[in-house]
Amino acid sequence: MKTTLASLIAMLLVTPPAMFALDAVGDVPFPIVERFENFGKESGIPANKVHCVTKTSDGRLWIGTWDGLCVREPNGQFRRYGPEHGLSHKMVLAIVEDPRTGDLWLGTMRGLSRFSAGKLTAFTQTSSGLPNNVVYGVALVGDTVWAATAAGTGAFNTKAGEWKIYDHNNTVMHEPWCYTVTGAGDLVYIGVWGGGIIEHDPKRGTFKEYRDPDKDFHFDLVPDDGPINDITSWLAWEDGILWQTTYFGFSRYAKGQWQTWVETRSPLPSNFTQFVWPHKRAAWVGSDRGVSVTDGKFWVNYLVGDKGEGLVEIHRPGATQPEKRTMSTALANQFVLGIYVDDTEAWFATSKGLSRGVFAKTKTAVAAAK
Amino acid sequence: MKTNSTSQLQDPGNGARLSQPPQRSEPASLSILLRRSAVRGCGAWNSRASGRLCALLFALPLAAFAAGYDEKPEPPTPKKDDGCVNEPLTPEQIQGAQARARAYAATNSLYPYYANTPEELVPFSKIEPFYRYWTSRLPFRGPGKDYPPPPNLKSLKIGLLSPAPYGPEGARGRRTKKGVEMAFEEANAARRPGELPFEIFYREDAPQWGSAANITVEFADNEVLGFLGTIDGDATHVALRATLKLETYMINTSDPDPTLTETQIPWLTRVFPDDRQQCVRLAELVVKQHGCQRIAVFRESSRPGRVGVMHFVNYIRRLGVPPVQHVFFKPGDKSIGPQVEAIKAADCDAVLFYGQPDDVGRFAAEFRRAGIKAKFFGFDRLKEDAFGKAAGAAAEGTTICYFFNPDRADQPWVEFVEKFQKRYGEKPDIYAAYGYDGAKLMIQGVRATGPNRYRIRDYLAGLDEYDGVTGHMIFDGRWDNIVPIATAQFREGKWHFEATTPVARDKVKLSQR
Repeated sequence: MKTTLASLIAMLLVTPPAMFALDAVGDVPFPIVERFENFGKESGIPANKVHCVTKTSDGRLWIGTWDGLCVREPNGQFRRYGPEHGLSHKMVLAIVEDPRTGDLWLGTMRGLSRFSAGKLTAFTQTSSGLPNNVVYGVALVGDTVWAATAAGTGAFNTKAGEWKIYDHNNTVMHEPWCYTVTGAGDLVYIGVWGGGIIEHDPKRGTFKEYRDPDKDFHFDLVPDDGPINDITSWLAWEDGILWQTTYFGFSRYAKGQWQTWVETRSPLPSNFTQFVWPHKRAAWVGSDRGVSVTDGKFWVNYLVGDKGEGLVEIHRPGATQPEKRTMSTALANQFVLGIYVDDTEAWFATSKGLSRGVFAKTKTAVAAAK
Repeated sequence: MKTNSTSQLQDPGNGARLSQPPQRSEPASLSILLRRSAVRGCGAWNSRASGRLCALLFALPLAAFAAGYDEKPEPPTPKKDDGCVNEPLTPEQIQGAQARARAYAATNSLYPYYANTPEELVPFSKIEPFYRYWTSRLPFRGPGKDYPPPPNLKSLKIGLLSPAPYGPEGARGRRTKKGVEMAFEEANAARRPGELPFEIFYREDAPQWGSAANITVEFADNEVLGFLGTIDGDATHVALRATLKLETYMINTSDPDPTLTETQIPWLTRVFPDDRQQCVRLAELVVKQHGCQRIAVFRESSRPGRVGVMHFVNYIRRLGVPPVQHVFFKPGDKSIGPQVEAIKAADCDAVLFYGQPDDVGRFAAEFRRAGIKAKFFGFDRLKEDAFGKAAGAAAEGTTICYFFNPDRADQPWVEFVEKFQKRYGEKPDIYAAYGYDGAKLMIQGVRATGPNRYRIRDYLAGLDEYDGVTGHMIFDGRWDNIVPIATAQFREGKWHFEATTPVARDKVKLSQR
C-alpha cells in the first residue's frame, strides 16, 4: 500500500503541467493549444518572416513569406514560388482562396497575384485597375476579389473582368489608406488606416463609417463606445461578429454593440494587435506579444517568456487573477503576423518561423467549439 | 538616491541621449535635476532662462514621483564653464512651467504629454480618461537584432524619399536633398579605414497614386538600412505604413502633419516640429498675446490644410474663442470673392492663414484691398520669400511661427551655414537644415550599431534628446521633436524673430522620469 501511495505521489509530481491542462480547461468554450510545433528554414521556409498562412479546401497549407509564396508538400517540406515564377513581388502579405476554382489570390508588396492551375499572373497599378501596388489585404466576396492597398481599395469582378476603385473621392472614407478588407454576408468591411472601418453594401452602393468617438488618439475616453481606434490594422467577420485589431487595442462589434480591450485594463497582453482570425464565435488575435483567443468573455493568451518558454494565461469571467501555466513548447516567435484556425488545428505566421498549434483533446472544449 | 533604470547606450558625444528600452524608472529627485541642469548651462542657443525653466518644467512632476524615496547627496559635479548665465525666470514663465508640469504629473507619463501643450489646451484635461496612449514608447518586440549584416555589403545605403520635382514642394525637397547630401559627404570624408562608405539611394515621389509606398518597397528591395523623407503628409503616411511591414527605420525631416506619428509605428522619428506645436503657439499668440476675440481661419482645401489647422481650431475653442469663420480656398485660386465677403461679414480681428506662401500672400493683399483690418497670422511657410512678394504691403505686421531664428549666431548654426554656403553657394533654409540633422542622426545610428536595421531602430527610437544644427531636440513618447518653437513678425520688409519659449538645453533625461 505504501509503495502504491508513494508511486502515486511520485507520478503526480513528475506529471507534465500540460497533462493537468487537459482536465482544467474544459470550461473554456474554444479549443486550447496544448503544444506548438515549429517550422523554419530547415523545413524549406525561405525567410525568417512569415506574413500569412492559410489552408486551402484541398487541405494544403500555404504561407506568404518575406521571400516568396510557399506550399507545404506531403513530406513536410515547403516548396517556394518567387518572382522568377511570376509572383509580382517576393513579399506575400495575404492569401485567400476562391473555393469554387481553387485559385489563390495573393496580396504582395508589388501587386496582386493570382495563382491558378500552377500559373502565377500579376495585376499591378499600371497593368490593371489596382489602386496601388502595395496590397495589404485580400478578400473574396462572391465573384469579386477585394484588394486593400496603400491608396484605396480595388474590387475586381472576376467574371466581368472589371475593376472599381473605392477611396476618399467616392466613399465616406476619411483617409484612402486601406489595410484590410473582409466579406460579411452581403456586406464588405474595409479597414482604413486613420479612417476606422467602412461598411459597404455593394448591392445598394452605400457606405457607412465607424470611427473612434474620442476623435483624439492620445486617449480612450470611455471603453466600449466604438472602435478602439481609427488605425485599423486588420478586420475579420464571422457569425455576425466583426473583430478589429489596431495598434491601440482590440474591438468587437456585434448586434450594434461595441466591446473594446486595451492592455493593463483587460486580459489583452498588448495593444499592438496586428491580425485576427475568427473561428466560430471566437477570435484568434496576433499581436507583438503572442496569440490571444477570446469569445469576448474568456481569454487565453499564449505568450513567450524571457527564456523562450511557452506561457499560457487563462482568464475566466469573474476571476480576479488569471490561471498561469508553463507550456512544454512555445510559439516560434511572439511577433505574430498571421493566423489560420479550423476545427482540428491552428497555424501561426510569426516574424521568425511558422508554428502549428496542436489542440488539447478536451471533450468539453471541442464540443463547445462545434 | 535611487538610480534610474534606463540603460544608457553608446553616447556618440554630440549630445544624443538614449534610453533603451524606455522603462518606467524610479525618478531622480527635484533637487538633483535642478543641480544637473544648473551645471549644464544653455549651450549654443544661449537661451539664458532655459536651464532653470526646463529643469522646473520636467522636474516638478518628478517631485510627486520622488516623494517617499530616500536620497543620498550626489557627489559634487565639477562645473563646466560654457559661458552661459542662468537668469531668474519671470513669473509668467514659472506659471507656465508649473501648469505644464501639473499636466504631465497627472498623466503619469514617462515623456512630456501632448507635445508640451499647456493643460488648459489639452482636450478633456479635467477628467481622467479610461486609457492614455504615449505615456511611454511602444517597443518593437520582433526579432532581428541578432541577424547578420546583409551579404556582400559594399556600402551603407540610406534611402532619401523626396517630393515630386515640381512646384513649391519640389523646391523644398531639393533644399532638403542638399542638406542630406552634405551630411553624407562629411561622413564619407571622415570615415576611418575599414569603414564602409554611405550611399544615398535617392527616389522622387511621383504623381502616380500612392507612389511613396512603391518607393519604400524599392528601398527595401535594395536593402537600405533606413531612409529619410519626405515633406508631403500623404506620401509620408503611405511610406510609413509600408515601413512597418518592411521594418526599415524612417527619419522624417520635413512633414508637419500632426497625425503622422499618431499611427503608433515604432519605426519613425520626426526631427521636424509639427503643425500641432505651431497651433499651440499660434493659439496663445493670437488669443492671449494679441487679445483677439473674433478669429477667422482661411485655409487651403486639402488634407495638409485640414490637419494643419485642426488643433488651432480646437485650442482657441478651449480658450473660449471659437472661430467666427472657417473658409477654404483651392491651391492656385485666382478668385476668392465669396471668401472675402464671408471674412468681411464675420467682422474678425484676426485671420489665420494656412496654404502655400504665394497663395496666402495674394489673398492677404486681396483682404487688405477689401478693407479687412484684422491681424494676419500664419505658419512657418510664410517665411518664404513668395509670401512677401505676393502680399506686398499687406505682409506688414503678419505674425508667424517658425522653428528657430535663422539669423542666430551660435556656433553649430553659424558653422553649418558657412559650410553650406561654401558647398552650394546659397544660404540654407529649414529644409536643408533639418535634412542635414536628420541625415546626421541616421549616420549616427548606423555608426553606433552597425548595418542591422533592427539595432538601428532601437538606437534611434531610444533617443530622448539630440543636438543638431537646428537646435536642441527633445523626443516625446511619439518620437516627435517637441522642442518649443519661435515666432516672427514681418515689419518693414523683413522678418523679426522674437525670443522663443525657453528650450531645454540642460540635458534633462526624460527617461528618468
